[in-house]
Amino acid sequence: MKYLGGRLLHAILLLLAISLLSFALLQLAPGDFFDSMRVNPRISQQTIDGLRAAHGIGQPFPIRYARWLASVARGHLGVSLAYNSAVAPLLRVRARNTLLLTSVSTLFAWLLAIPIGVFSATRRGRNIDRAVGVATSALLTIPDLLLFLGLLLLAVRTGWFPSGGMVSPGADNAGFWKMAGDVARHLILPAFGLAIVTLPVLVRHVRSAMIQVFESPFFRAARGHGISGPRLFFRYALRAASNPLISLLGFSIGTMLSASLLVEVVLSWPGLGPLLVEAILSRDVYVVVGAVMLSSVFLLTGNLVADLLLFASDPRIRVERAE
Amino acid sequence: MSAGAREPHKVDQSEPLLEVRGLAKEYAEHGPFARSRRVVVAFDEVNFSIRRGTTLALVGESGAGKSTLARCLAFLEPPTRGEIWFEGVNLLALSKQEHIPVCRKIQLIHQDPASALNPGMTAAEIIAEPLAIQRLGTKDEQRARAIELMRRVGLSADSAGKRPLEFSGGQRQRLAIARALALEPSVLILDEACSGLDLQTQELILDLLAGLRAALGMSFIYVSHDLRAVSDFADEVAVMYQGRIVEHRASADLFEDPKDPYTRELLGAMPSMESICAGRLIGASR
Amino acid sequence: MNRNYKLRASIVLLGAFHVFILLAGFLAPYGYATQDRDMAFAPPTRVHFVDAHGSFHARPFVYGVKNNVSDSSYEEDPPNAYPLRLLVSGAPYKIAGLFSARLHLVGVSAPARLFLLGTDAYGRDQFSRFLYGGQLSLLAGMIAAALSVGIGGIVGSLAGFYGGWIDNALMRGSDLFFALPWLYLLFAVRSALPLHVPEWQVFLLLVSVIGLIGWSRPARLIRGIVLSARERNFVRAARGFGASDAYLLRRHILPQTYGVAFTQLALLIPQYILAEVTLSFLGLGIGEPVPSWGSLLATLQHYDVLSSYWWMFLPAVLLVPLFFAYHTAADALQERYESVSL
Repeated sequence: MKYLGGRLLHAILLLLAISLLSFALLQLAPGDFFDSMRVNPRISQQTIDGLRAAHGIGQPFPIRYARWLASVARGHLGVSLAYNSAVAPLLRVRARNTLLLTSVSTLFAWLLAIPIGVFSATRRGRNIDRAVGVATSALLTIPDLLLFLGLLLLAVRTGWFPSGGMVSPGADNAGFWKMAGDVARHLILPAFGLAIVTLPVLVRHVRSAMIQVFESPFFRAARGHGISGPRLFFRYALRAASNPLISLLGFSIGTMLSASLLVEVVLSWPGLGPLLVEAILSRDVYVVVGAVMLSSVFLLTGNLVADLLLFASDPRIRVERAE
Repeated sequence: MSAGAREPHKVDQSEPLLEVRGLAKEYAEHGPFARSRRVVVAFDEVNFSIRRGTTLALVGESGAGKSTLARCLAFLEPPTRGEIWFEGVNLLALSKQEHIPVCRKIQLIHQDPASALNPGMTAAEIIAEPLAIQRLGTKDEQRARAIELMRRVGLSADSAGKRPLEFSGGQRQRLAIARALALEPSVLILDEACSGLDLQTQELILDLLAGLRAALGMSFIYVSHDLRAVSDFADEVAVMYQGRIVEHRASADLFEDPKDPYTRELLGAMPSMESICAGRLIGASR
Repeated sequence: MNRNYKLRASIVLLGAFHVFILLAGFLAPYGYATQDRDMAFAPPTRVHFVDAHGSFHARPFVYGVKNNVSDSSYEEDPPNAYPLRLLVSGAPYKIAGLFSARLHLVGVSAPARLFLLGTDAYGRDQFSRFLYGGQLSLLAGMIAAALSVGIGGIVGSLAGFYGGWIDNALMRGSDLFFALPWLYLLFAVRSALPLHVPEWQVFLLLVSVIGLIGWSRPARLIRGIVLSARERNFVRAARGFGASDAYLLRRHILPQTYGVAFTQLALLIPQYILAEVTLSFLGLGIGEPVPSWGSLLATLQHYDVLSSYWWMFLPAVLLVPLFFAYHTAADALQERYESVSL
């Protein structure tokens, strides 16, 4: 428990440092949200100045940062200048969508990676294994952006999938199941894309973890004892491989978040990604800081959960810690 | 057999060259979370002195603290307590700047020559390195001296351009010795310098060292776990057990009449067939 | 043997590609901003060897093109044949930003056009823009990677060599960079810069931004190497001769890091090229009219492009072999130097 407390403290400090860093970076940026208003002759300079003052834009950095921290404590996370609302509810909706997307694709990816990886490991060295290796290399090489654009092309050309968005227009009040189905249809392509780009690394790791287990003395002993089939696989092999695989889960969260940003933009999935890009382009300061912080929270939480899972599943770690 | 050349010669009875007083070295080990700290004592309360031209053997089993002591004497690690006096100067009280010219006088030869030589450098570069570091002489002078040292340790000047991996174990040790000689040290510390070599090569290296001692009048501190191997070579023997010196006497006296029970144990332990074959029966030399 | 072959082949391929990009001005028939509004969204010009009568011409030629305004399509217009000319004089350009020249490898006489990859909405030749865009993206990637490895090398060496509080402080600092997904970090840093960066000087600023996000992994790897190198006996021996820290680092320790540094470079360059492409794709990179591979790809999000103008995808396809070569080289280098991945 002390370990958990220590990690939490470390994570909070880290988040604070990141918030400071992002805030400072945004302060450095020349221009602000209201610059775009200057172009419009109908809005007087006075109005702009008034708006600026109301949002505390001219104030020195420490004051702005302190006010923002207070806002965080109250649960608002500052104000979005573009949407004219608190940042938190905005982030909540978008974050929900991003989480939906990433969890579904993570599930996809692992459901595919484990069988493929294990299969490859059992047929090690043979042609099918080599073919899988080539396929994973090829997928790894192709930049994510190109893959997503390719999927978009597919959607537009074939019309099999919706080419963007999360819901079809006019589908609002069509009842829960219909809506769920609609969302699901829109989810297919982005989730598939995200799964495809994370798949190669997973397959490689599953394969090598499995190979290590197969070659380990304890596994051979189990086989020698006559244990076989599903029992051998689930209780022995998978258990032994769980340590490196859980670590992998933790590490892949970061890359998954970055990739999800891209896929959301390309396929117009309303998650954190498009929000962040929009906010940067319009210099919506608090939204940018909020979104960046949130991504960090996800990453750190994911790592922490992975560590906890490791702790719970691998008795060796518990013993080490106790020493 | 060159046993005669290896017999200890008449020693200079003047002031001690190197004197060690109350030297101790402790390590603090940290547990995984820096919460637990164990203190490990490498050696404690070490006192001895060496006169010019004498050879002191430091023997004991592995873990007795000999290597750590050797490294402290060569200033590769700082001791926790104590003083090291050299030619009347307390070396540990010197500043870093003052220390540089003095560190030339005491040099260390490692047990494993391969690890002590940078595999990417040529032999000449390796030997000349101390001169280059201390900025003694021009590049050409340094190279000339390196070649001269190579000849002195029995390596042909043709191999000056070779890299350490192209030499045999014994030759590498010669390289290391040549390098140590570059700065004309007064004290050479040999940390199990022959332990990694086969018996034949050990003999050759010891011959070389004896020759150098005779020619240059150097003092040696020879650290080893093999008591019998040093019997001819050393004037005095200090036996270390668990970080302390339990017996320190003239070599001949110690072998004839070991006082400490541990020394007796060491002497009585597995006789090395090789030393018997090499004609170094203890009784025969009396 | 196999590994060496992989390494050599990929380096040759990379070298060729980079040389082509370097000679962008020479190889491109047109400048990157040259517009031809009458020829917006024209498909790639077909180069023929055999004419309408079936006779073979050693010298390839193109037909003049008619623009059907009614349905915005383009048709070839034989018998107006225009042969390809070698080494023509055309729009001026600069080699490596220093030397001015006007010589182009191929061209056709007006009013024919040589659009090898078609044109975009403003009638700009995609092939030329691809080459020029390559100059930007590749250069950005390489400089940024050098920056990352440079900073990482310095930080890692200091942390590994001196240990203690310096090590702690530096590694805690690098922790910060690990706690953010790289793209989010990139954006956060990018937002500190002015939005529209039209000049090449600001290109350098962009590059530093990209380079700054990725120094932590090289730092960790190099720190590990320096830590173990520091304990080697030959380093201790040199210390025993009175060597200064600077000497030890320069002569003995840093040479051990070159292998890993090189591998990291090979790994980071494609990642950073991609980072620049992503930034430009989203409109956060260098502004118009300077092309970047990213801005070329950005047009692919438009519906009409996706449904009708297939040739706009060609630049994307051309990128795949480049990344493949980089990955192969990085793999081979990793095998050779066996760097441990975090």
